[in-house]
Amino acid sequence: MTKQKKKPKIYDYFKETEDPYAGGVAWCPGCTLELTARFVPKVLGNDIILVGCPCCAAPVLYGQNLGTWHRLSYFSSLMTGVASSATGISRYYRKIGRDATVVCFTGDGCSADVGFQPLSGAAERNERIIYITYDNEGYMNTGYQRSSTTPMGASTSTTPAGTISHGKPTPAKNVPLLMAMQGAAYAATATLSHLDDFARKLTKARQKIKEGFVYIHVFSPCVMGWRIEADMSIQVCRMAVRTNYFPLWEAENGRFRLTHEVSSPKPVQEYLRLIRKFSHLKETEINEFQQMVDRKYAVIKRLCVTE
Amino acid sequence: MVITGNATAAYGAMLCRPDVATSYPITPMSEVAEQLSAFRANGLMETEMVEVEGENSAMNVVAGASMAGGRTFTATSSWGLSFMYDAVQHAAGFRAPIVMVIANREAPGILAVSGGQQDIISVRDAGWIQIIVEEGQEILDTIIMAYRLAEDYDIQLPVMVNYDGFYLSYMATAIEIPEQTDVDHFLATLKEQPKRQVLEPGVALGCGTHGIEKGFVELRYRQCVAMERAAAKLDEIDREFGELFGRSYGGQIEEYRIDDADIVVVASGGVAGTAKVAVDTKREQGIKVGLIKLRLFRPFPRQRLVEALNGKKAIGVIDRSVGFGWDCGPMAMELRALTPEIGIVPILSYIDGLANLDITIPHIERAIDEVQSAALGKSYQEVTWIPLEE
Repeated sequence: MTKQKKKPKIYDYFKETEDPYAGGVAWCPGCTLELTARFVPKVLGNDIILVGCPCCAAPVLYGQNLGTWHRLSYFSSLMTGVASSATGISRYYRKIGRDATVVCFTGDGCSADVGFQPLSGAAERNERIIYITYDNEGYMNTGYQRSSTTPMGASTSTTPAGTISHGKPTPAKNVPLLMAMQGAAYAATATLSHLDDFARKLTKARQKIKEGFVYIHVFSPCVMGWRIEADMSIQVCRMAVRTNYFPLWEAENGRFRLTHEVSSPKPVQEYLRLIRKFSHLKETEINEFQQMVDRKYAVIKRLCVTE
Repeated sequence: MVITGNATAAYGAMLCRPDVATSYPITPMSEVAEQLSAFRANGLMETEMVEVEGENSAMNVVAGASMAGGRTFTATSSWGLSFMYDAVQHAAGFRAPIVMVIANREAPGILAVSGGQQDIISVRDAGWIQIIVEEGQEILDTIIMAYRLAEDYDIQLPVMVNYDGFYLSYMATAIEIPEQTDVDHFLATLKEQPKRQVLEPGVALGCGTHGIEKGFVELRYRQCVAMERAAAKLDEIDREFGELFGRSYGGQIEEYRIDDADIVVVASGGVAGTAKVAVDTKREQGIKVGLIKLRLFRPFPRQRLVEALNGKKAIGVIDRSVGFGWDCGPMAMELRALTPEIGIVPILSYIDGLANLDITIPHIERAIDEVQSAALGKSYQEVTWIPLEE
């Protein structure tokens, strides 16, 4: 894939599809979720049905009383019921022969923690839904508590670094890998610094739901929770890819492929030093973090031999 | 056809042609799911069956399908119901007209693979219409009526159809399966009504938006008002069902030998059948006793009960569940709330039939004797746990 040819296409998305959000609507300054929430309908269209739950996206997507801040069709489930509610909508449309794209859009707290069972169930039943997780590595909407995608060593409000604590003691749950392993028709990782890659994956998602379950895991730094500067969030995304902390890959029916292979990855320290939730980490812990990144990357890399 | 209560429930659902149905096995309801799957496997039903990975999803799938515009069905029991509790409340808030059958069983707290009505009580304020039936044919007929009630434009609330787990769920009785064309005809009335609001791709609609301040209060108020409307609506639907199918059940309550009765026994579910036998026996002995079978539990059939109980001298209430904090059965507690309208009369609460224990004819006869004695002005015990006194 050549970047030169894909880049203009990104701008086309912004030209072609009308922005469904009301003027003036905004999340936190520098929020990557906001850009993701705006970009998804650019590629998938405004005629999708969004299914969400209480999360950072909810304050905008929910609307209040009879008012709404967007023109999308939105079903608000609870955190336990996103993949299952979407299943119900999708199955009903299948029953009546209606062609509609049902898209789940939640944070990692839903998909990795309390909503993981229905997510895993929907994947196993091969439901025709697209599930997008924006992963800000914790419960950023309720005050930066840890989730199971919070990385090892991160200081959160429930795993605070202290005199005897070094942040979260265990590594993150690799949800996209689990979804691929469950045999999803399509599973992929994406982030905003590589928007052409993200757009291509969304386009592919739309085709692949005709075959079955689609899962896209979007790395989404949180300015407030991670304690980064508002103008740094895309740079953090880029550095996550360049250090192989967040490798970009896809798996079609279990066939893995790196979609953006980094030729000479930077040490993860360059990523960690941008983010203050890691500022307490000492050299030994940074080394451990590097080893964890290397191990995780090695797994993906080995899986890619199927190609 | 001689079939179990569970199979009867499945036939009832099939006849209503649900678009989406979900199932997750739990004793004593599992056969409903198996039977529906068998109908689907043999092409008798075009329903999308979703075999979910837990009850919480069973409810969320039907909630989603319902809000997309579909007719939906699911079934559960006891802690299956507990596990879907958030979704049960959420679906009611959506005003999703789901029909769910519950083969009643003791609820979590103390492990019991046995019947009781504690699961009904655990969701009484969840925003669902709750109907309790007595026997097999009533299960089937009530499911058909439940769709008319749930999907009625003026109601739009989910309905639970409750029947005794272990007893009715497994007991096979002769059931008359109505003609599909008659059921279609009975439900066709709904098509003449305005269309309820559903999700549409490309149309701005927040399904389950965030209710703020007075907006929230208004939505809650409308939900409560719709619930109140459901009581009289059930009577109407029950009468219409009777005209078409030749069977009706009294709507909100069934009154048995009530008109000239001095004292009344209130019961629900299968025990009502036993109670009728006890009432007949006691009538022969000269005690003017009648029975009220409580069919509708939410909304509470307040007006019908006041009319039926006015002037009665004493009331005995049989509960197959417990209520914490009032030292009486939950249904007895609700009956006590009628005091301003029916006057101060002795209300005797009987806790019986927990954990599959039989409520026998002698149990009910004993209750009738005590209620009669209380009606004559003698002192009485407010609450009696019958199994502990034997």
